[in-house]
Amino acid sequence: MVRTPPVVWRSRVHRYRLVGSKCKSCGEVYYPKIFSCPCGGEAEEVELPKVGRLISYSVVYAVDEESRDRSPVIVGLIDLGVTRLVGEIVDVTPEEVKSGMHVEAVFRRIGEAGERGVIVYGLKFRPVM
Amino acid sequence: MFVTRVAMEKVDRHYEKGVRELAAGVARKALEGVDGVDYVIVASSLSYLQEPQLDLGAHLASALGLKGTRALNVEAGEASGLAAAEMASALLKGKASRVLVVGVDKLTNFPSAETYAHLSLLYDESISTYSSGFGSVAGILMRLYMERYGVDRLTMAHWPALMHSNAKHNPYAMLRFAIAPEKVLEAMPMADPITLMDSFPLGDGAAAVLLESKPRDALAELVAVESAVGPASVAWSEDPLFIEPLALAFNRLSERYQVGEVDLVELHDSFTITALMVLESMGLEERGKAAEAVASGRFSPNGELPVNPSGGLKARGHPIGATGVYQLAEVALQLAGSFPGLKVEGAKRGLAVSVNGFGSSAYVAYLRGVL
Repeated sequence: MVRTPPVVWRSRVHRYRLVGSKCKSCGEVYYPKIFSCPCGGEAEEVELPKVGRLISYSVVYAVDEESRDRSPVIVGLIDLGVTRLVGEIVDVTPEEVKSGMHVEAVFRRIGEAGERGVIVYGLKFRPVM
Repeated sequence: MFVTRVAMEKVDRHYEKGVRELAAGVARKALEGVDGVDYVIVASSLSYLQEPQLDLGAHLASALGLKGTRALNVEAGEASGLAAAEMASALLKGKASRVLVVGVDKLTNFPSAETYAHLSLLYDESISTYSSGFGSVAGILMRLYMERYGVDRLTMAHWPALMHSNAKHNPYAMLRFAIAPEKVLEAMPMADPITLMDSFPLGDGAAAVLLESKPRDALAELVAVESAVGPASVAWSEDPLFIEPLALAFNRLSERYQVGEVDLVELHDSFTITALMVLESMGLEERGKAAEAVASGRFSPNGELPVNPSGGLKARGHPIGATGVYQLAEVALQLAGSFPGLKVEGAKRGLAVSVNGFGSSAYVAYLRGVL
């Protein structure tokens, strides 16, 4: 992905607070944000729940260059109730992680943008203590 | 409209050839003895990151000496090739009578880690805030499939084994060797439960098809191409294992044609799980049953419905934007009885199926023999 300062800056709220969209007519929730709902309704911003259940996951060995030192990375499909999202699962080993596990959002460093030097932060998910 | 000429380059690590050389090679072959074309449509995707050239179609047409022709570019990720064919079919109903579709892509201009980073852009960029790697979503879906339907890892491995066994006979395939299903499990883990053997090799390629409104010297009739867009993220699909836009595109075709009764299919198998999702989303197999059907030989060359006799993305290779054009060429040659690899004897009707990612868009092309 492109990680120049303007790109990282303008997506900060969505990444820090897990802000998605909610349709004003049908109430359907989306993450990341959408502009119009398939039902034809107008969408407004909404903060998503920070806890959910892991539907499925993958233990990823073929990671991007910047994640190489923390490979394997666990990525999961998370059910937040109102919607689902794909997120990184942390503080758990590949042996411990299980589908169905309850997870909660946690603020973490996502990566660095190489020579331009922007450090990107955002939410990842860890098993509920 | 009709497919009158096809040309393919072997999918490989063509370090000595750039995008333009690869594309020009197949275009020249497809145009041998042809007196000009109304349009050149270039289907390409990763080349915009690996070997950037804007207005690629015009530059290529000019390098081919096609003075004064018209040129367009189509980028639809992994579905670019069939997207170009859909655009060609619209043009052939209007002012064009002869359109050359050229698919081309390079995946080897960068080290593979960087190419995989380029490939993650096929998915919704706005959710790529996690450095999770290209195979992560496929890994999530494969585990979901195995857990939901109670299918074990070895049963899943019959797909790559079948693709390799088919590709052995295809002179244009990148991986021309057989593998046992057990070997898939022993390969390097990519995005567990996915190993490197569940995914396509990184290779460059180009293919061309000449489409004409008149049937003279045709290999096959390209009856129709249909498409639809779908949810940008698997998190949005009602069922992440069902490719909605593919079902929609397929239904749009089946309202008009008997597309459920075809003799062969060349379909999108970027991963083992994608192949199974494609088969089930098109209703070619019951939900949750595709893996066992593959293992039982239903989709083998001598089975009920031969799928990917070319070896598929998995073993023929998957030069992203070019893949759909390979599929069209392969199906057309099968229907003409002249495919140089595994032949599906007596095939009269066939499908080519492309999906970008896990369903941001999907395309189905329906072809009929003219013999």
